[in-house]
Amino acid sequence: MIGFAARRAASAVFVLFAISVLVFLIFFATPGVDPAARIAGRNASPETLAQVRAQFGLDEPLPVRYALMMKSLFWTQDLTSYVNRGTEVIPQVLQAVPVTLSLVLGAAVLWMVLGIVMGTLAAAWRGTAVDPVIVLLGVVGVSMPVYWLGEVVNLITQSRLHDSVFSWVPPLGYVPITESVGQWALHLLFPWLTLSVLYAGIYARVLRAELLGAMGEDYVRTARAKGVSERRILVKHALRCSLIPVVSLFGLDLGALVGGAALLTEVVFGLPGVGRLTFNALQNVDLPVIMGCVMYAAFFVVLANALVDLVYAVLDPRVRHA
Amino acid sequence: MRPRLLLSTAVVAAVALTAACGSSSSSSSSSSESSSGSAAVSTEYQEEHAGGTLRLTAHAAAGSIDPKVNYTLQYWQLFQAMYDGLLAFKKVGGEESFEVVPDLAEAMPEVSADGTSYTFTLRDGIKFSTGADVTTADVAASFKRIFLVSTPTAGTFYNGIVGAEGCLADPATCDLSAGVVADEAAGTVTINLVAPDPEFPYKLAVPHAVIVPADSPPTDAGDQALPTTGPYMVESYDPNTKLRLVRNPHFTEWSREAQPQGYPDVIEETFGLTVEAEVTAVQNGDADWLFDPPPADRLAEIGTEYADQVHVNDLTAMWYLAMNTNIAPFDDVKARQAINWAVDRAAAVQLYGGDNLAAPVCTFLPPGFPGHEDDCQYTAGGGDTWTGPDVEKAKQLVQESGTAGQEVGIVTSDDEVNQAIGEYVQSMLTEIGYKATLKPISSNIQFTYIQNTDNDVQLSLTSWYQDYPAASNFLNVLASCASFHPGSDSSINIAGFCDPEIDAQMQQALVTGQTDTGAADALWTQIDQAVMAEAPIAPLFTPKIVDFTSERVGNYQFSKQFYMLVSQLWVQ
Amino acid sequence: MSSVLDAAGSASAPVADAVDPAVRGAGAGPWRTALRQLARNRSAMASLAVLVLVVAACVLAPLYASAVAHTDPFTSNVSGTTVVDGQPTPLLAPTEGGLGLGVTPIGPTWDPTRYFLGVDNQGRDVMARLLYGGRTSLLIGASSALLCCLVATAVGVVAGYFGGIVDAVLARLLDVVWAFPVYLLAICLSVVLLTSGLDVGPVHIGAGSLWLPVLIIAVVYVPYVARPVRGQVMALREKEFLQASIGIGASDLRVMRREVLPNVVPTVVVFLPLMTALNMLTESALSFLSIGVQAPDASWGTIINDGLGLLYTRPAVTLAPGIAIVVTAAALNLLGDGVRDALDPRARLRGTA
Repeated sequence: MIGFAARRAASAVFVLFAISVLVFLIFFATPGVDPAARIAGRNASPETLAQVRAQFGLDEPLPVRYALMMKSLFWTQDLTSYVNRGTEVIPQVLQAVPVTLSLVLGAAVLWMVLGIVMGTLAAAWRGTAVDPVIVLLGVVGVSMPVYWLGEVVNLITQSRLHDSVFSWVPPLGYVPITESVGQWALHLLFPWLTLSVLYAGIYARVLRAELLGAMGEDYVRTARAKGVSERRILVKHALRCSLIPVVSLFGLDLGALVGGAALLTEVVFGLPGVGRLTFNALQNVDLPVIMGCVMYAAFFVVLANALVDLVYAVLDPRVRHA
Repeated sequence: MRPRLLLSTAVVAAVALTAACGSSSSSSSSSSESSSGSAAVSTEYQEEHAGGTLRLTAHAAAGSIDPKVNYTLQYWQLFQAMYDGLLAFKKVGGEESFEVVPDLAEAMPEVSADGTSYTFTLRDGIKFSTGADVTTADVAASFKRIFLVSTPTAGTFYNGIVGAEGCLADPATCDLSAGVVADEAAGTVTINLVAPDPEFPYKLAVPHAVIVPADSPPTDAGDQALPTTGPYMVESYDPNTKLRLVRNPHFTEWSREAQPQGYPDVIEETFGLTVEAEVTAVQNGDADWLFDPPPADRLAEIGTEYADQVHVNDLTAMWYLAMNTNIAPFDDVKARQAINWAVDRAAAVQLYGGDNLAAPVCTFLPPGFPGHEDDCQYTAGGGDTWTGPDVEKAKQLVQESGTAGQEVGIVTSDDEVNQAIGEYVQSMLTEIGYKATLKPISSNIQFTYIQNTDNDVQLSLTSWYQDYPAASNFLNVLASCASFHPGSDSSINIAGFCDPEIDAQMQQALVTGQTDTGAADALWTQIDQAVMAEAPIAPLFTPKIVDFTSERVGNYQFSKQFYMLVSQLWVQ
Repeated sequence: MSSVLDAAGSASAPVADAVDPAVRGAGAGPWRTALRQLARNRSAMASLAVLVLVVAACVLAPLYASAVAHTDPFTSNVSGTTVVDGQPTPLLAPTEGGLGLGVTPIGPTWDPTRYFLGVDNQGRDVMARLLYGGRTSLLIGASSALLCCLVATAVGVVAGYFGGIVDAVLARLLDVVWAFPVYLLAICLSVVLLTSGLDVGPVHIGAGSLWLPVLIIAVVYVPYVARPVRGQVMALREKEFLQASIGIGASDLRVMRREVLPNVVPTVVVFLPLMTALNMLTESALSFLSIGVQAPDASWGTIINDGLGLLYTRPAVTLAPGIAIVVTAAALNLLGDGVRDALDPRARLRGTA
């Protein structure tokens, strides 16, 4: 077990390293993003440009530059943005984390509740109209482009019906929970709903599939033979086992989201989270911020992967020797 | 995104020191209402309107908050209410906004007979927001700092100061003691130039030349704001969320026209909303103004339902297609002329926002600019103004040039308006016989990308906004050999146009302009026509600017130099 | 987007034969049985019908554009005019009243011969573009799904079968690809390929080529499919029939081809419709970032993106392709469910799309 854990940790570190190198290389192979001229502004003279180049260490060979950047990112932690000069990367990312966490965790609670309820109902009422309707709702939810849904939600809540039905909807933006819990929740309400719509459907269908599979298992047949009602079997026996893959799925999705995969939602709703930070940095091709965000995102995804692997190793010893 | 202000690299301009180069009178025949407030700022400060928080929005922050580094319109608009230089553009609306008046200096400078020496007497009693007095030492240090922090215009504006060349070459050993002489006892500062420069007062009036404390860091201050002298100071700046300005407790109004007291107690600019969301926020009263141009589909809405909150103002600017004259297919003049014949300028106008927001142009110099004369070499049926494209003629020229069927890449910014016009241009190019592809790239990098010849950009859509009112601003900057630097991200002559004869004419016009503006203007007109015959660019239209303010905002003033006067808006 | 990775690599996908004996019939092979089971699944059949309709409509796009609507959906027509209610109007109508700012494209006329859904901001017929866009979206979705499944099967089978170092390396590679933010890769690649295209040996892929989004999307989702496959193969490896085959001296390639692959294919087949739906959605998200399909070509994603700029005045332009994506993706998902049910109703497939 320890060996397995150690190996997983080592591979996680390797993955992070590989990603950082790839990102760095892509950036410097990308034409039109010479930071010197962008920093120096328009119509700058060649002398000014040269000075800026020296100042930012852009004259050094690639491996040296990479090493310097990694040092700033992890060791001295003074990596600064190329575009918003003087602004340090790590604090920027750390500041954006609570926003993303608020968005993702809130949506996660919603989609889990919705997904579990919908999935259980669909399995329980299989064969009636409820099942396909729920499945259809879920499928429709999953098939919508998230930024499209977000813009439509904004159109309705902020503009068209803002004077009547949705007058209580606050302007777009983020209010820290430390300032006001009510405002925090109110500002995040529609982002939560939009994001959870996408995932609730997935989880409902996963759970439904698992439940239906579980209903054919031996232990369920035993319970049936003992006279336990179908409903009870579903909820007390099958559900417990079926939740495991759902939980593992949740772990992976949460990892990716916390790392910034919800970037389109954040952009559309004006939430200053890690996703939006990444998006802006990409548009500006601001390498240090991109590195920071990518490493942070990769860290969470790899962490989530590793945790899920560990949990499975605990549950299923066969895996440890795989 | 609105391009930044662009400054002239001209050595000598035709305009005399204090002449209201408001000979760039509000142009032509537009039928839009222009609330440019030709009335000057009210002569009295109206106390009852003071107070409140002015909430501005912008899609993104604009980089460093250091006035000697930042080169964006977004922050220059805010710097007017924060920092002061020896001189300043008059902070009023209308024509007088091009006048330069003394700011931290007591009066306009005494200029030596040969025009190379400017002596200023510093005003007494002005303090920084930290409480420290503004001294001549601060002035000297501020000029030196221009070279220490690599101000973008250091090599183009301030290279005329004695000692500047050395500072540019090696900032570490920068010695401006001969160029900027501070006499603490007399309270004067004398600036010595290598050669006379009638544009120098303008260069002193832009934010790159403001006075900051001598102990300011010798590197870009980034997101740490420097102490200010104006009515506002920075309380906090987070490029991801907002910039917050509060009243400077040590400010007392010393010159109403140079630096008037501001009305709001707090000015806050928040970042991060999409432009659509910003428009909605202003409509709902959740924000007071948006910096970014409103998207085309919202223009109709705000122009009708919110018409009294919309302010449309003329600009001396142009949007144009730059063609690379050094690589195929536009190294052939016939191909370039074909583009000029084929492009439907009215379509470009529609895509920008309609006839009330733009007017087609055919010349380098925009209407209303000194030296402009109506003339159009590429309009169907001939005439002095553009009436329509002649696609048949264009097709013919393409055939004649032998470039038909070649691949052409069009590089534009990826914001809505630019991309829409780019798509239209692509369609037009396909129609006349090329294989055109559209390449929209991020507006943050597009401008430098198209300047660098290493990128082999064949055709690009870009714009040029006049900075200060110098007649040489357009032609000399955009079409002279000196502005073409191959292989550099900073080569503003994007077309790469270099014609020695025309260059010689431009030099002559510059020299003539030192003494005889009228003659110089006539020369510029000729040069304009000569350049357009070679067609290195295809001018599209001259735009107007739209400011959309919320219901509660009052006292909108439009300065031709810095556009909306932010500190003069009141919210109650 | 669901990240259904079988983390432990030990998916249990017992290829059970819990098929209704009545359906099975005497001597019917597993595929035919599955098809019969599928035919009985009403929602799957309904979805299939919808898909056929959608595909047919899109295939007939050129016919619609030339014969019915008489428009060219790829040429800008900013200054064009048309007749609405007997009145000639410009396609991009200037605003009357107020300050007269902005222009508004005409909205849906509900007349198939004349701009059924109105025009977009370039004056092009939205309906015609919608149909052409469907072709592109479906093509990208389907081909990237196919490519992804092919590569993922190969990777998964090899990794699961050989185990050891091979598996370690491949699994780590999958980790790296999976952890790499999709959008970052896509944006950087698009800027790089902006001017020069991609040269892979003798093959030149131009900047506007559809291969680019297909490749990007396919590569990014390989881990998604490869890991369940890998898990299944690892479980299979322990089974007797495989051991037997190895025992009689069959080469690795033969074993993989004859024993492993047939058992893995059903798993992968289930993924195909699901991946197509997922890839269509990814393509539309990439269009939001201006990657992939280039103007003036259309895909549902680019039309949505163009339409967002008109959301407040002409919502039809963005709603129509959005609805098209939803309907098609939903149909594909339901079909995928049906296929999975038909192939293995008790499969503990870890998750769906």
